[in-house]
Amino acid sequence: MPKIKIPKKSPSLDMTPMVDLAFLLVTFFMLTTKFRPDEPVVVDQPSSVSEIPLPDQGVIMLTVDKNGRVFFNVEGQQVRRDILERLGKRFNIEFSEEEKKKFSLLSSVGVPSNNLKEYLSATDDQRKAMNLATPGIPTDSLNNELSVWVNAARNAAPRNSIAINGDRDADIPTIKRVIATLQDNKANRFALITNLESE
Amino acid sequence: MAEVQQQEGQDKGKHKKVRAKKASTHIDMTPMVDLAFLLLTFFILTTTLAKPKTMDITMPVKDEIEDEQRTKVPASQTMSILLTENDRIIWYMGMDDPTQPPETNIADFSVTGANSIHKVLLERNKLVIDLVKMVEDSVAAGLIPNKEEEIKKHKAAVKAAEKRGLIVLIKPDDKSKYKNLVDILDEMIVTNVGRYAIVDLSDSERELIKNASAN
Repeated sequence: MPKIKIPKKSPSLDMTPMVDLAFLLVTFFMLTTKFRPDEPVVVDQPSSVSEIPLPDQGVIMLTVDKNGRVFFNVEGQQVRRDILERLGKRFNIEFSEEEKKKFSLLSSVGVPSNNLKEYLSATDDQRKAMNLATPGIPTDSLNNELSVWVNAARNAAPRNSIAINGDRDADIPTIKRVIATLQDNKANRFALITNLESE
Repeated sequence: MAEVQQQEGQDKGKHKKVRAKKASTHIDMTPMVDLAFLLLTFFILTTTLAKPKTMDITMPVKDEIEDEQRTKVPASQTMSILLTENDRIIWYMGMDDPTQPPETNIADFSVTGANSIHKVLLERNKLVIDLVKMVEDSVAAGLIPNKEEEIKKHKAAVKAAEKRGLIVLIKPDDKSKYKNLVDILDEMIVTNVGRYAIVDLSDSERELIKNASAN
């Protein structure tokens, strides 16, 4: 029997189209990705049928986690710096330039005013630990610091819309207090952040 | 793929003409491709394409309004939905009157169950739902341009104009969850309830919940 000879073919093949595609996809994902800074709290939003997307920028976000802790977040370094200066005036805290810079780069913040300075000067690891232990921004009627925050944010960025980012298991009394605080600050239109229903 | 071919051992004849080396035009692209795929994988895994959605709500302006100035709503159209613990709903029609406790009903958030609040709302708000359907019909018939904004505008107008539609007062109890509130607001959108508000519970209603839970 004669041996079957397999013709020697070059093992290389033209990969150009594949590479083109790969680079196309890389470019797409690079351009669409927006890196979010570490969020101190994980929130599992309730689902709804609403399809109104959250605006890309200019949102004052009040996060309520499942333990009823309230966190504050807004984008924009200049706005954040402005807010911190206003907070400093109201709480009689002197913030250094470094602390202001740090605050303008952070994301959600949820510490009572007396811990704010300490929070801003802490290292990243310390801050992580503080985020776990913090009781959130106080909202009770005797010491409603959230109202000061919202007021500062409304003054610093009057055009920003307000959104409540609540966990599905957040308790109603806290949510009601947050809503009442917004109403007190004449913010009667706001949005609740939800997930699109997946069924 | 191509490989860079190096030509060695060709310098025997020293006196030959110096020729430009014929370099192969192929370059080994494998490392570049590797890198491209690495980046691709990284970006695919880190991207979240699903943007969060929002639900707009408008609360009334917090002002001291005299009782006489308040808008009177007909009791027969008013439905109170009390959200209580364990995802349970207690609802009743009419006004909250401490001297005459209203007849309460129990419901849940299911869509098809026997006690579905969805069914109750569909039934009670049939008038407005039919009107909204008429808008949809006129879109199909070509009377209203088939544009999303246009349809939305007409539906909103219909909902606001119909004075006989259902008015819902949403009253979340302290033991209910935020999820319940969002679910019921969602239900308002689905069942086309044009007028609804989030209201605090009264003492008599707390009593109602207590009695209903005891049974």
